[in-house]
Amino acid sequence: MKSILKITLGVALFASLSYSSEQFAMSDADRAMYADLLDANPADMMVQDGKELLSKYGGGDAGLAKFLHVSEEKLPAFIAGFPRYLPDFKKVVGLGQVMQALMVTNGNKAFALKDPKMFNMVAYTKSLANDEKINIDVNANQQMKDAYALGEKTFNTQRGGRGLSCLSCHSADVIGSVLRTQPLPDLGVNNSGGTWPAYRMTKSSLSTMQHRFQGCMNNALQAVIPLGSAEMVGLEVYVTNKAKGKAIAIPGLKR
Amino acid sequence: MRTSLMASLLLGCSLFAVDYSSMIESPDASKIIQKDLLGPAKASTMPTDCISTDPKAIARGAFIFHNLNGETKDTPPEGLSKTNSDGSEKQFGNCIACHNIEGAKGAGNIGPDLHAYKKNFIDSGARNDQFVYQKIADARIDNPNTHMTINLTTGLFNQREICDIASYIVSPK
Ligand code: HEC
Ligand code: HEC
Repeated sequence: MKSILKITLGVALFASLSYSSEQFAMSDADRAMYADLLDANPADMMVQDGKELLSKYGGGDAGLAKFLHVSEEKLPAFIAGFPRYLPDFKKVVGLGQVMQALMVTNGNKAFALKDPKMFNMVAYTKSLANDEKINIDVNANQQMKDAYALGEKTFNTQRGGRGLSCLSCHSADVIGSVLRTQPLPDLGVNNSGGTWPAYRMTKSSLSTMQHRFQGCMNNALQAVIPLGSAEMVGLEVYVTNKAKGKAIAIPGLKR
Repeated sequence: MRTSLMASLLLGCSLFAVDYSSMIESPDASKIIQKDLLGPAKASTMPTDCISTDPKAIARGAFIFHNLNGETKDTPPEGLSKTNSDGSEKQFGNCIACHNIEGAKGAGNIGPDLHAYKKNFIDSGARNDQFVYQKIADARIDNPNTHMTINLTTGLFNQREICDIASYIVSPK
């Protein structure tokens, strides 16, 4: 697995080197650090912390499986379908929200969705599905259809100080162009759905996909919407679905 | 009889069915988005004294073009500040995120290269000053599916600032 990642990265780095060097913010030192981090993703420690937190506050893998009404054996494939509609919640939820209810039913106070400890727990939980293929089903029921539609609408909505939408920078016709030294990634081909939570080198921290969305909103001068809102979960459904069928590999490693 | 059975069944359900929705964060974002929406595309005619050859106006336009916001280390030229009147940080154009132009550092290529704009686009007759003004003010008038930022309709810049930026783009360099 790691070697595949290395080859893909090698190709990507080579491709970016072929541009004039001052076009790119990633210096040779950055590149070297990237290569080092691939062998030892600092987020591995954070995932380990998430494992301990889950066992302390949520009864570990077994407690989670029971809570979700699936066998431990089926848990990975089930997690590979998030965000999903769960009747117990009466809505489509992400893994962070599952962690919150799990913590409360175990007699604990839930971490806030934006708490780094929550990021660690979500990363560990999603890593249980490593090597599983993303199997989100956006047609599973009306709630998932609605979440997908809301996600798509949110993605395409122009707003904020510069009138940009997510689509302004992530539509097929601009992918690969360069936005101030950063090539615009294809969220599907790049397997965003399978690689968040990820360690962000430039932030030296672990981040979830919804938190990454907030970064783009902030950069684009859009009002940042809160984690766990129907629109955020919808965005996660919409973006995750673009990478459906790709293998999950948590923690991801990003610029 | 029937109704009381139903009622007790319903009661039973609500007593035993779980509902975790109150235990989780699920805040409302719709109002935040509603307030943040982009208004309809707006055509505007540039003011008569819009395009200026005053080096100070051109310097302000260049500064807005090349910088992202008030966090920049560079000192803004006369008539431009890093902060708004309420003390908040001023946002600049960050146009080079998408456009290459003379002296650009780390320019992107999502939008067309604006090098030698006067020679290639204005003197050739392909574009005129009003086109440039409208493009920066609200690019949707010329191209409804544009990927370009909207700068006057959003209120990010005022008319004079748009004129300064346009003056910079069409100035001989
Ligand atoms: C102004 C341009 C712009 C806008 C608008 C924008 N993005 Fe991005 N986005 C980027 C760039 C550039 C990157 C890559 C940055 C990097 O590599 O550090 C990125 C990265 C991402 C990633 C991570 C991709 C990966 O897996 O590596 C996600 C997910 C994402 N954007 C989603 C969104 C969403 C959702 C929105 C709207 C709320 C949005 N973006 C709006 C430019 C933009
Ligand atoms: C997120 C990307 C992006 C940003 C930021 C951006 N532009 Fe553009 N710009 C474009 C694209 C794409 C086009 C071509 C499509 C179109 O004309 O709508 C364009 C077109 C233009 C043109 C028309 C060129 C011609 O003659 O056809 C001008 C002038 C221009 N931009 C100026 C600016 C200025 C000034 C700023 C900053 C205030 C800016 N742009 C910021 C993407 C961008």
